[in-house]
Amino acid sequence: MSAFTTLFAFGLLSFAIRSRLLLKLLSLLVLVVAGYLALNSYTLPLNGFSLTSGVALFEVVLFIVLGAAILNEDENINVTQTIFIGTASVALLESNTLLNFIISFEALSIISFVLVANVKNATEASGAVKMFIAGSIATAFIVLGAAFYLFENHPLNATLENVEMFGTVGLWLMLMGLFYKLTIVPMHTWAADSYAEIKASHAALLSGAAKTVAAIAVFKTFSPFLLQNLEFNTPILVALAIITMTLGNFLALFQKKVAKILAYSSIAHAGYMLLAFVAVKSAYASTSLLYIAIAYVFMQSALFTLIGNLKENASELSLEDLKGLGEKDKITALIFTVQLFSLAGVPLLAGFISKAVLVYAVVDADLPIVALVTLLNSALSVAYYAWIVKHVYFDEASLDYELKSLRFAPLMAQFILLGGTIYFGVFAFGVFNVAL
Amino acid sequence: MSYELLIFAPIALSLLIYMPTRNVGGTKYVALALFVYMFIKTIELYKQLPEHGYMLLGKFLEVKAFDFVLTLQVDRLSVIMLLLTSVLLILVTLSSWSLTKKPAAYFSLLIFFSGAIFGMFMSTNFIWFFIFWELTLIPMLFLVGIWGAEGRIYAAVKFFLYTHVASMLILLAFFLIYKQSGTFDMTLVKEAMLTTPALIWWLMFIGFAVKMPLFPFHTWLPDAHVQAPAPVSALLAGVLLKMGAYAMMRMVILLLPAQAEKFAWIFVVLGLLTLLYAGFMALYETHIKKMVAYSSISHMGLIAIAMGAMSYDSLSAALFEMIGHALIISPLFLIAGFLHQKMHTWEMGDMGGIMQKAPYLSAIFVLAGLGALGLPGTMGFIGEITILISAIESFGSWMVVILLGSLISAAYLIWTFRRVIYGEMSEGVKNGNFSMNRVEFFALLVFAFFIILFGVYPQTLFSEINQAFSVYFTGAAL
Repeated sequence: MSAFTTLFAFGLLSFAIRSRLLLKLLSLLVLVVAGYLALNSYTLPLNGFSLTSGVALFEVVLFIVLGAAILNEDENINVTQTIFIGTASVALLESNTLLNFIISFEALSIISFVLVANVKNATEASGAVKMFIAGSIATAFIVLGAAFYLFENHPLNATLENVEMFGTVGLWLMLMGLFYKLTIVPMHTWAADSYAEIKASHAALLSGAAKTVAAIAVFKTFSPFLLQNLEFNTPILVALAIITMTLGNFLALFQKKVAKILAYSSIAHAGYMLLAFVAVKSAYASTSLLYIAIAYVFMQSALFTLIGNLKENASELSLEDLKGLGEKDKITALIFTVQLFSLAGVPLLAGFISKAVLVYAVVDADLPIVALVTLLNSALSVAYYAWIVKHVYFDEASLDYELKSLRFAPLMAQFILLGGTIYFGVFAFGVFNVAL
Repeated sequence: MSYELLIFAPIALSLLIYMPTRNVGGTKYVALALFVYMFIKTIELYKQLPEHGYMLLGKFLEVKAFDFVLTLQVDRLSVIMLLLTSVLLILVTLSSWSLTKKPAAYFSLLIFFSGAIFGMFMSTNFIWFFIFWELTLIPMLFLVGIWGAEGRIYAAVKFFLYTHVASMLILLAFFLIYKQSGTFDMTLVKEAMLTTPALIWWLMFIGFAVKMPLFPFHTWLPDAHVQAPAPVSALLAGVLLKMGAYAMMRMVILLLPAQAEKFAWIFVVLGLLTLLYAGFMALYETHIKKMVAYSSISHMGLIAIAMGAMSYDSLSAALFEMIGHALIISPLFLIAGFLHQKMHTWEMGDMGGIMQKAPYLSAIFVLAGLGALGLPGTMGFIGEITILISAIESFGSWMVVILLGSLISAAYLIWTFRRVIYGEMSEGVKNGNFSMNRVEFFALLVFAFFIILFGVYPQTLFSEINQAFSVYFTGAAL
């Protein structure tokens, strides 16, 4: 028994459950069981899969976030797909060979495509199509890279060590494909549109949960390769990280739609996550990635879900629409603001300490200039987060204020995610006591 | 009561007050009671202090792998700052007594601020220091942004961003310290442990110079001061700027003394530029609150010069001036805000003759103004003369140039008295009603009392202040 088999079995069974309430309750129960199994080190019972303490912690966090997502869902099929996203995520997180990694990664991608394919209007369809195309290109890169890598006669069921020229080219091609999914510049262009156009709850799952799962899995799989040739790999990663966070933050500054701001913020955060790859030689690299993944999955899931709750067509939610939210709906405004502040790196919230550890890992890897650029980027990002808060609290509500109030279940989901953001902002030892 | 509750209880309480209330006015009593309690606890703390060095209050939330520990330790310097802060919080609460716009939210933000600022002065772990340092920005952002004047949003966002960017330099410096010394505990770090002390010094210096602020890093402050509601301006001048000065003293001077000595000229140059530039700007201003804001900045220049002198006397003088600045500038802001509230103008040209309509208020304004220009008998005089003497001792007689700053202060303040307090009564004053809430007037009286008390009996304060630095100059063990 493992988290994977539990989720997979329930995912199949869930098609037979008609009652939404029952499905949701059982899903939550299964996620609790899966979390228990992960914490007690029950791993996927196949060769090439293992469960470290860090991955177990992240799986628990992931199940909490998926639980919040399920509370918020209004269709049975989305609940089922959320369970399957959890299933594929567990496989990807626990894989420790290249073969398992590729299979699990593609499984997660395909389930993500199925999730966003459930479109309701032309805007969502546009976002989904962009995602399919980007995903196909990414897969092509991954397969091509694997072919190059295998040209050196490396076994597929081993870690990425002793790589030579063809292998290096192959693994970098794979990384390019994977960076498509992680929305690293210049492979990011699809993400800004897709995240903003698809259904907000789907964007929450994909830009939050799926992305962080992928980042951790890529780090786990590729860190032996990155460590092997630091002189060659580090400058490329530094350039990609800096360009990604800077471009993401700058483009977010000029957006008027909240979903777009969050989409570009998501791209900027991909740049931050890449810093863990940059600092791979630091003892803090894996902890920093784990921490920012945990923080980010709470914040991003909360914000995308929240904008979906506030307006039916979340992609159309503009800054102007938020005017007066602080006056009309105190609780929602406070949750929204706290999560935004966390993304901005305000202390006592997970976003701060995760970024702090990340930047320290970069300093520890003897890259203080990169650390400074990161910190300045973080400060830059505060401009657009503060600008959203300005609309929420400082501006008077317009006459055509039409934001919806949160119902009970979505509000509970938000409280769960808020709890995660605050808990990991104050109690850091849980993350430092584990290893990826 | 554990001392960590002095930090976290107000933060939690602020949310508890904000969420269920519908902006009832009673929250001011909660705020006042809390600040009085914090003041009493600080007095208790003060009485328990050892003669030299730090007193450990506790360690919390320990993450050994990253030396991320909420270490609460206080010494005389930090307790003096805590006392100043708690007194100012009480007085600012009293000064906001008649506030009608969203009082629950306003006082809950003040309460939140009190927790963060206490955390900052009590924490000796660099990361936790930074956490509280940054947390103070959040309530100030909202206090300026919601309760400020016409241009409040621009001022609030500018203040937030400007100081946040500066904080990034400070954080990088802290990380370099940890990388090189292996500890985030500021009481354990020694300059000799560091391999790039000059880089760390510069990062911290610029970061804290923004907060103080020193020329040319000051541009956020005039906007924030002018747009903030008057009690918040008093809080900005009395507490927020002191955070910068305190951190500058604790980390840039006392933690890295060799670097500070090497770069002492930076303090002197920027201090003088701040003193004179802001002084001339105050002279030029016709906007009463801007004049007070520039006066405030100008006096921070004096403090920087004293810090640069780096002697026992000069640091004591700097700390005295920090307290003096808080007690003198705050009533000026409060009265300027009150006049605007009554006359709906900031222009000093539209005022005049207020002494005839509101003699007690005018007397306090004049007293604080005389304190700011350094008149003997006020604590402003003691601060300025001790800074002058210690600067001359350290840098030579050319430091009499400081007197030019006092001369400029005298010019703009006396001219302000002429335009606002005395002179012919303007139409606005004739038609105005200058009756003030008694509680708010009481707060002003307390400021006036302190200005005279420490002007006449400076030794009561100096004896405590001197002890804060004796450990660094007499070789007593930390």
